[in-house]
Parts: sequence; C-alpha cells; structure tokens
Amino acid sequence: MATKTVTVDYIARVEGESALRFDIRDGVVENVRLSIFEPPRFFEALLRGRRFEEVLDIVARICGICPVAYQMSGVAAIENLLGIEVDPQIHALRRLLYCGEWIESHSLHIAMLHAPDFLGYPDGMAMAADHGDAVRRALALKKAGNELLRLLGGREIHPVNVRVGGFYRVPSNAELAPVAESLKRAHDFAVATLRWAATFPFPDCTRDYEFVALRHPDEYPMNGGRIVSSLGLDIAAADYQDAFVEHQVPHSTALHSTLKRRGGYLVGALARYALNRDRLPADLQALADEAGLDPVCRNPFQSILVRAVEVIYACGEALRLIAEYERPARPFVSVEPRAGIGYGCTEAPRGMLYHRYETDSDGTIVEARIVPPTSQNQGTIEEDLRQVAMAGLDLDDEQLKANCEQSIRNHDPCISCAAHFLTLDVHRS
Amino acid sequence: MSAGAAPRVLVAAIGHPDRGDDGAGPAVARRLKPHLPADVRLIESNGDMLALIDEWVGCAAAILIDASAPGRNPGRIRCLDLVSRRLPAEFARNSTHAFGLAETVELARALGQLPPRLVVYLVEGERFDTGAPLSPAVAAIVGKVTEKILAELPDICRRAKMSADSDA
Repeated sequence: MATKTVTVDYIARVEGESALRFDIRDGVVENVRLSIFEPPRFFEALLRGRRFEEVLDIVARICGICPVAYQMSGVAAIENLLGIEVDPQIHALRRLLYCGEWIESHSLHIAMLHAPDFLGYPDGMAMAADHGDAVRRALALKKAGNELLRLLGGREIHPVNVRVGGFYRVPSNAELAPVAESLKRAHDFAVATLRWAATFPFPDCTRDYEFVALRHPDEYPMNGGRIVSSLGLDIAAADYQDAFVEHQVPHSTALHSTLKRRGGYLVGALARYALNRDRLPADLQALADEAGLDPVCRNPFQSILVRAVEVIYACGEALRLIAEYERPARPFVSVEPRAGIGYGCTEAPRGMLYHRYETDSDGTIVEARIVPPTSQNQGTIEEDLRQVAMAGLDLDDEQLKANCEQSIRNHDPCISCAAHFLTLDVHRS
Repeated sequence: MSAGAAPRVLVAAIGHPDRGDDGAGPAVARRLKPHLPADVRLIESNGDMLALIDEWVGCAAAILIDASAPGRNPGRIRCLDLVSRRLPAEFARNSTHAFGLAETVELARALGQLPPRLVVYLVEGERFDTGAPLSPAVAAIVGKVTEKILAELPDICRRAKMSADSDA
C-alpha cells in the first residue's frame, strides 16, 4: 500500500496563518486538515469586565480587513440588549460604512489575492505587469472604499467613530459629495472588474452546500435580517445558539461551527447571493447573468464573480444612500446601562458574523461570544479540499497544491479572525 | 512652483506615533515640518500602504521614512534607493493583513507608477510596544535623520523644478 502526504506549510494570499495537510492512500484522499496555527487571541475573554461602551473599539481590533463588520455586529448586539432603535439615517450611515468595507475588502481579494490563481501568477505584483488596468481599477475601488471608511469611521483601518446609539460625529451632505463622485467612477470600475473576471477559466466543480446567510425584508443583507438557509432554516439572531454549535478540533486553534443535527454549512458571498439574489436590482441581476452566474451558484471557484457583483451592488447602494441622506439632528441617542443579553448578526464581507453579549446592571460585560465567518466555514473548506484533491489525484504535487490553495482562497478566509494561514502536506500511499 | 500646482516632492513618514519605535517616522516629520520648502508635501501614513501610490504619482521625487525591525543595531539609519533596487526581503512586512511597503513599491514598479526618484530612510527599531515612547537609541537619531533629509532636499527640489519646467 502506497501513501503520499501532501502538505502546504504556509498558505499565501489569505488573511492569517494556516497550513494544509492530507493523505492519499490507494487513490483516496483522507485526513484533510486545514490547520490553523495562528495563536488564540482570547478576545471574548478580554471583553469580560469591560464597559459596554468599550466593546466597539475593542472588537474593531480583531481584524484589519473587516473591522466594520465587528463594529456592526457588536453595535447591533449591544443596542439589542439595551432596547435601542436608532434613527433611520443612522441606520443608513452604518449601511454606507459597511458598503465601504465590502468595496475595499472584496476588491483587494478579487484582484490581488484570487485573480492570480486563475491567470497563473504567483501573486498580484507579478500579475500587475500584464494586467495593469485591472489592478489600477482595484486600487481605485479600494480607494473609494477607504474614503467611506475615513469619512464615516474616522480612519481607514480600525475605525473609531461608531458608538452605541449612533455615531460620535455624522457627516454633512457637503462632506459626502466628493465621495459620491469617487463612487460613480468606482461603479464603472466594478462593472469592468466583473466582465474581466467573467473571462477567467473556471474549473468544473459543484458542491452541495447548505447556504446560510441573513435575509432582510427589503435589503440585500448587510446590517440585519433573519438567519436563513437553503434547507429551510429561518430564525432570529437571538436563536442562533439553538441552531448552531461550535466545537474544537485538535488541528485548529479556531473553533469549527456546525448546524445541529445537519453538519457543515457555508456562509459568505456565495450564500448571500444564493439566498438574496432577488434583493439585487434588476440591472445587476442582468449583469450577473451576462457574467455566467446561475441564480444559485454552487461552483466555489465562481465566488470571485459573486464578489464582483457585490462590489457593484455596494457602489450603487452607497450612491443611493448618499443621494437620500439627510443629516440627522443628533448623532446619537443617549443610552443607559442595564442587565441583559443582546444578539447581533450582520454580513461581513466573508459571511455572517454573530455576536452575543451579556451585561450586568452597571453595563459591565459579563459574557461575550463572537462567531466569525471563517470559523463557520472551516469544515466546509476541508470538504471542498477533499473534493478538489480527489479530482486532482493525477496532477503533480505542485499543481495539486496550487489547486488546493486556490480552493481555500475561493472562500477568502480570514484566519486571524477565526483564531482567531496555510502549510500544505500531501501524503500519498 | 506655479500657483495651484501640486507639490512635486513628497515626504511620507510611515508609522504609528504610539507604537514605540514605529513612531520614528512621525517623530522625524514633526522636526521637519517647520523647515520644509513650500514645494514639499509632508504626509504621515499609518494605515493603508497601497494608498502611498496615489500620493507619489505625479511627484518628481518621494522620500519615505520608516522604522525597520529590530536587529543588532537599534538606531542604525539606512538610506536605500528604491528605483534602482528592490527593498531587501529582510525589510518586507511579515503580515498577511495588509500590503507592506515592499509590496507597495513592487506593485507600483509593475504598474509604472514609481516616481523618478524614490528613497527610503529606514531607522532600525528596538521596541514596538503599544503606548511606548521611542527607545533612547531611536530618539537619539531623530535629529540626525531630519538633518540628512533637510540637507538633501534643496537638490531634490531643484531637480523636481527642472523636471516640471521641462514638462511645461
């Protein structure tokens, strides 16, 4: 019996530190392990004993790519706990801030992290020499996203302007006007990016995912909605722990998450699109059709197209929000601490992000729970890897490793968030 | 410089003032600020390195000041020409969360968006703790880096003006 072990010691072009290892024994792929060795970061523990007002600035530090997501789920949970309803314009500004993060995070991933896989380059820098226009568009998109974060969040990375009850400061219409001009150009760049990505060679791959995402009565989901799945799950954020369970596996410092009695599931762009395509404007649905996307896309390699669709959406949505903006009379409502439990679930660029906080009567955090999207997707990513490896058994090790790394990048994992990167070992026998 | 034209020389101080020796760049910027000619634009950057490309596009020259990782000589100053050579791997950022200076420079090179002159002053740091001041070794050389840049600027500005005049 011959066994071959395939290992990738450090996965490039993902956020965080992880490794991949699996065995090939008699033509069967076994023991697929996405090993996350990024040290545990203990954010939930260090939130205990802090004031509820401190939560948003602390959780923003979990991630340099998606700090807004942590602030949005955090503020939703704390305001749920305190029974606060914010002004509709505050809601609109938070959605606008989230649009900024989706634009910059997705654009960076599409052009600099994922596209090189399809075009055969080792990284975005090497690709830029031959695909300069695409990279320049991505940089312009990222800049537009950054402008939103800087104006609404106070700075581009780890924003500081969101507070419980609203914002510390809200922008004037005059301040938003130049950002709208950048977003108009960005929208055109985003359409060009989708058309560029639609020309990529996509491997045949169909996965039987259970998609999980938020669904909102009116909006493509960002800041709220019910948790729904392609197999009929339909619950409020408050019921998350009734349906989902986290468990530890020996090879990862990040907890794996499964649906009780059902197992693995997928969150992220593919899931959002599959469950909410009807919430996209008709012209954008037509662009998605033109790019070759089915209404429900089960080919994870095509996730790059869905992200490109979402960047177009975020640019258009941001323009709509700015056009309808009326500066609120007050930037925030006053809040009083109370004992209770609050739940918040929003859509980070990489998928659904759940927060739960319990406070005592003076507003001190007693318990915190944060379930990031990459943590939820780990088991499903391992199953993707098993399938990709099985399909590539005849390939040489380098190509097999490349295919496996690409399949991980299909889901734009943020491993630092989940632990809180990737070494690939292939063992053949 | 004609009225309203963008300054053609950029000085970019990279780093965070509240992260120990990562604040070397901002500390030099504070010393430079009162002495800079009108045609020099000074910025501080502690966020998205990729945004630097937009800052130096159109400039005739850019001077960067950054801290480098600890080695055996805290406070050591190195000045590297990034147009003629890559930033050595030892100075590349070991982070997956953001593009560092080395990746930013190489991306700009691939896109043909490097300024004609691009130099970086690297100050070897000793400690990068949150909230910490500069280490004594780094604090001691802030003035020296400032003087070196101020000594170099007249020639850089003169060449930038010649370049602008020839463009016109």
